[in-house]
Amino acid sequence: MTGGFTGELLGWVVVFCLGYLLLTNLVYVVLVFVAAFENGVRRDESASEDYDTLATSRFTIPVSVVLAAYDEETAIVPTIRSLLALDYPEHEVIVVNDGSTDATLDRLRETFQLEPYEVFVRRVFQTEEVHAVYRSAEHPNLVVVDKANGGKADALNAGLNVARYRYVCGVDADTVFDPDALLKGMRRVVHDPARIVGVTSHLTIALDPGRTMAAPPGTRPIDRRPLVAYQHLDYLRAFFNNRLAWSRLGFMLCAVGAFQIWRRDVLEEVGGYSRTFTCEDIELTFRVHERFLREGRDYEIHCLPDNVGTTEGPDSVRKLIAQRERWQRVIDETVWHFRRMWFNPRYGSVGLIGAPFYLVTEVLAPAVELTALVALIAAVALGLFQPGVFILMLAAIAFMNAALTACAILLDDVQSRTYRTRDLARLLLLAPLDLVLYRPLIFWARQKGSWRFLRGDKAWHKFERNARAPAA
Amino acid sequence: MYWLVVRVAVVVLALSLTAWVALSLAILVGRVRYDRRRESPSRALGEREARRLVRRASRRSRTDRGAWRRIAALRRLARARHPAALRLLRAALGDRDSRISGAAVRALGDLGDEWAIDLLLKALREERAPRSRIAAQVERLAPIPGAALLPLLRDKDPVVRFWGATLLAPYPELGGASLVMLTQDPDPNVRAAAVETLGARSGDAAAGATLALLHDPIWFVRVHAARSAGRLLGADGGPSLVRLLSDSRWWVRTAAKDALRGIGPDSVSALLPMLVDADAFARNGAAEVLQDIGFVDHLALERPDSPLLERIYAAGGERMREAAEVRTGRRTRERKVRAA
Repeated sequence: MTGGFTGELLGWVVVFCLGYLLLTNLVYVVLVFVAAFENGVRRDESASEDYDTLATSRFTIPVSVVLAAYDEETAIVPTIRSLLALDYPEHEVIVVNDGSTDATLDRLRETFQLEPYEVFVRRVFQTEEVHAVYRSAEHPNLVVVDKANGGKADALNAGLNVARYRYVCGVDADTVFDPDALLKGMRRVVHDPARIVGVTSHLTIALDPGRTMAAPPGTRPIDRRPLVAYQHLDYLRAFFNNRLAWSRLGFMLCAVGAFQIWRRDVLEEVGGYSRTFTCEDIELTFRVHERFLREGRDYEIHCLPDNVGTTEGPDSVRKLIAQRERWQRVIDETVWHFRRMWFNPRYGSVGLIGAPFYLVTEVLAPAVELTALVALIAAVALGLFQPGVFILMLAAIAFMNAALTACAILLDDVQSRTYRTRDLARLLLLAPLDLVLYRPLIFWARQKGSWRFLRGDKAWHKFERNARAPAA
Repeated sequence: MYWLVVRVAVVVLALSLTAWVALSLAILVGRVRYDRRRESPSRALGEREARRLVRRASRRSRTDRGAWRRIAALRRLARARHPAALRLLRAALGDRDSRISGAAVRALGDLGDEWAIDLLLKALREERAPRSRIAAQVERLAPIPGAALLPLLRDKDPVVRFWGATLLAPYPELGGASLVMLTQDPDPNVRAAAVETLGARSGDAAAGATLALLHDPIWFVRVHAARSAGRLLGADGGPSLVRLLSDSRWWVRTAAKDALRGIGPDSVSALLPMLVDADAFARNGAAEVLQDIGFVDHLALERPDSPLLERIYAAGGERMREAAEVRTGRRTRERKVRAA
């Protein structure tokens, strides 16, 4: 590498970026080992669990499932059907229609024979005006709250006002659940409800979750379209390589919105879901950690490896970028908001490892990625780097990612044996191409998200739901 | 620096390529082997395997892996009803590792004979595993435990008395007098459990004890008493229950509403005076129950100009009227369609 000051500078920039990449991947490798251990422990635990008794005993803790829906006419019915079909001794399903502008409420009224009732509820959380509360003639455990639009957090808070049980499970309207989802999620809680305040679990992705979940585990297909397959891999990496390890290390920092179980008194204590952030899930998890650690209280928040359901993924590049841009923004907002936790020993492993990990690998990553890209292109253009070396570096990064992805696939398959062998083979072959086929899209989304965070944009930018066959 | 970058890239590529290939093979081979194993029929427990499992189940485990192997061995022996299972489970119950004792509880539930029940009740007394999990296993074995539960009601430990009272729910013929006595227990959890269980029984003593607990100073005891009163007393409990509609605690008001809903149309006479109560909660609650049991719809359909209906709407608010109009409008349409 030659070329005077510019060459020297570019060289150092490239070394810095490579160093960053190596360091973060080294951290990921360590996390994979921790995740593998956690996965094994949870698998053994699950194998010795008495699900039959748990599913029928009156001592199993009842759960209120709360679902916020905004313009979900295409997705909502299969989701609610799957929630009503949950194999659990006692649960209620509270659907909050958050001022939908489409036919969401009409679909619900027709499908579940809803009738309006005046219900006097506790107003623990202030929310936008509730227009009506509906009960189903067909399903006594289904309640639908129709309210003025106030965003997902506001809708979930309205659902919490209606919830009757000690644990609340927040779910997304575009996710179809396994009949055992609640049993799997609550199995840890019933052993120690005093300590376990929050639980999330592994979810997968599909274009039409209802159709995917209709296939039994072991034969469940993974969508053939590469865009969906790569999102599937993304989810696997996030849950198995990261969240499982965070859970074992005591800093599970994101109970995902699609399936998050919380003890209701904890939600009431921290003030419910916050409306001041773009998205509610990660912020709430940070807030609960912050509160409990600040007050020195004993608690646990877990991520479990059990596959509890399938959520809808974007079917086009435009929708994917809109979704990932929002995710980046909410991470930036949350990590910045809780900056007092960074490197603060008072917050234990959350302050010393979890929050800095997010800062380095999520918040700063877009800037480093952009710098690396510009520097590498400049270095090749100026003849400071031979194209062959550039390709060698790309290959190294691609296979590093592929190896980590293979770890996630292995952990998932050992845990649940959900997918067909040929689909697993296809995922493994797609993994090395992730860097050139999928990462550029995520790179662009993250750049946009970071830029919008800096501009203070907090709009939801919800992606338009995929077209699908009408529900039976 | 250039060559350093190149060397690092080559090393990383070599390592990660090897890892990717090795992991891919492990995944695919492991999956094929799993599918084959799953298809092979399960075997009966042979003598040699039983000896190996007994050895494994007797061994104290120092590692995580060892603990789970011991658990698997215990479960397999219990399922096969091996003669050594009970001895091994007794030892496992006393293990300091909560995973081992928890697994023993589950295996004892699978065994389900009198010895197993004795051990489960001992575990409940000594809290060898989360008590709710032990209780779930004991209840799963109903009606075998039956009379064996009665001594729990006289235990020194209030938590054991609580579980004793709770677990007697499926046995309406057992422990009636003791449960009535427990409604005066100094521990509020025991009082709550006793009155909850009494709710599925009958008799003057049970009714008197339940009514008395509707005035308990502890709110959650009143919640359980309200639920019981609805089931035990039916319409006779109405006048006492409606008083709880103005309780200071939301959960007590909710329990009272649930109980009154459960009583059904027989609760109407007790609810009507509450429509003009000075307390807003009582007025709202009474109107809500009248709506939920179908009384409002009945009036709206049959006597829409009734002053009583107006009184209910005045207590329940304008939205109650709107909701009732939507419901009754729909029913009227349905009737017309049927008539046509």
